[in-house]
Amino acid sequence: MKKMITGNRLIGFNIEKHMPLLFILPCILILLAVSVFPFIYSLLLSFNSWEMGSGLPRRFVAFANYGRLFTDLRFGNSILNMGKVLLFGVSLQFLIGLTLAMLLNRAFRARNLITTLFLLPMMIAPVVVGCNWKMIYNYTYGPLNHILRVLGLGEGVNWLGSMKVAMPAIIISDIWEWTPFMMIVLLAGLQTISVELYEAAKVDGASRWQVFWRITLPILKPIIIIAILIRAMDVFKLFDIVVLLTQGGPAGASETVSYYNYLTGFKYFNMGYAAAIAYFQLIVIIIVANIFLRFLQERKP
Amino acid sequence: MSDKELTKTRRKGITNDYAIILIFLAIGLLLMLSFMPMLWMFMTSFKNKGEYFTYPPLFIPRSPDFSHFIRGLEIGGLKGIIDSFVVATCSTLVSLAVGSIAAYSLARFKIGGKHLAFWILSIRMMPPIASVLPLFLFYRFLGILDTYGALIITNTIFNIPYTVWMLKGFFEEMPEELDEAALVDGCGRFGAFYRIALPMVAPGLVATALFCFMFSWNEFLFAVILTRARVTPVTVVITGMIGGHEILWAEISAVASMASIPVIALSIFLQRYLVRGLTLGAVKG
Repeated sequence: MKKMITGNRLIGFNIEKHMPLLFILPCILILLAVSVFPFIYSLLLSFNSWEMGSGLPRRFVAFANYGRLFTDLRFGNSILNMGKVLLFGVSLQFLIGLTLAMLLNRAFRARNLITTLFLLPMMIAPVVVGCNWKMIYNYTYGPLNHILRVLGLGEGVNWLGSMKVAMPAIIISDIWEWTPFMMIVLLAGLQTISVELYEAAKVDGASRWQVFWRITLPILKPIIIIAILIRAMDVFKLFDIVVLLTQGGPAGASETVSYYNYLTGFKYFNMGYAAAIAYFQLIVIIIVANIFLRFLQERKP
Repeated sequence: MSDKELTKTRRKGITNDYAIILIFLAIGLLLMLSFMPMLWMFMTSFKNKGEYFTYPPLFIPRSPDFSHFIRGLEIGGLKGIIDSFVVATCSTLVSLAVGSIAAYSLARFKIGGKHLAFWILSIRMMPPIASVLPLFLFYRFLGILDTYGALIITNTIFNIPYTVWMLKGFFEEMPEELDEAALVDGCGRFGAFYRIALPMVAPGLVATALFCFMFSWNEFLFAVILTRARVTPVTVVITGMIGGHEILWAEISAVASMASIPVIALSIFLQRYLVRGLTLGAVKG
């Protein structure tokens, strides 16, 4: 059998031998052309000052754009906002998602249907999510403020128009949108834990808490890390709902890094600085992605 | 069983009943929280102007008006849905054609080892805003801003790595003997791929394609930056309508609801592959 295969390979030596390379070549060429080339271009751009539309020519400024990152308060603010989304958004997504996953991790009728219904917020377009929440948050006519007024909790909150609440409002929508992701991933993890393990623990007299801390969490750990890393990378991309809900406002209170990058490049046409911000994002993402890939590698022997 | 033990189990049964009721109450409550915002929008698409600008807010419209769906399509919704469909379909097909064969090569011949595979995957993880700036300048130079081409290429850049990575996983799960047998039978390498391997991973192929379609359908950042007036994907249309002088909530809601229908249908269809598809194969559901 083995011999025959080798024989076959020998006959079609020239083409057949290089077939694997030929197979992957289109993919590599396309990716090189449309992603690597632009990235080199924008790296060069980030060392230049180029204010498109101002009529000034491009000029080389070395690391000035990168230096500016450290003194730009608006940029610092956008980083801070991202930190808030990571700290409050992702952690709440994790907690609610884990709770939901544990609730749903039992056999009952219509379980698949209910699980899928829970997933819808993350499947619909983020733009549509923005639409949903723009109506919910409306100061005068929105249902959320109506509920607050009925409950006697004041005159309602100016969700999208106040410096203090705009960012929390975006975080709430983000939690709503992405909790299902945590839920479905953790549920998949929970289902890999065999029932015998739980039963054995019960026989040994372990309490529910002990089972949760000693069995469930340790087994889930790699999956939790993967889910959080994926979400952390997504936080960098937070853009759509910001455009829909607040457009970074009021006064930049809810600007995310992606949105500030967008404004710099496509509203102020400050291409060099925008490229520098993009590269900053890229470096952070590469670090997170590398951790993610390492986990992936470990899981795939 | 002694009396004592019996009451013990009985009591346990009762607490279990309460626990079950509580669990389903909690699930129901969370499901309602998760559903309300979407339902609110869907209901709004039937409301007349007086009904969505009213206090106290009205959940169920008094006289459901279906005309907003037509009106929404007329003021850009239809064009948006068509454009989104064209972009998503073309990008998916190209990614599948290029990606499936590359994935096969990676899975079967381990070409380039792990590094090549990870390099391809890393392209997908790029923040879109970081890659769109050079692409914008590049397309401007080529004069293809605001065309289907620009959007299709850009979406494809992100879909190819996804396709490669997902299908690599599916190919690796396929028994190797099968395509070896095909080689023995005189199929070339391409024949083994096209006639044996590809049909074997058909479910994975379909799932991957639908995911690509969904990503491109929901995509907003590329669409808003790379298009102006000629090509208007539905996400851009919706955003544009919200930015207008007078917000026509019913029409916006109608268009947004229609844009969500295909995605909702797909997610129900994709149920089995959702976890795998959304975690880049890191977690297999």
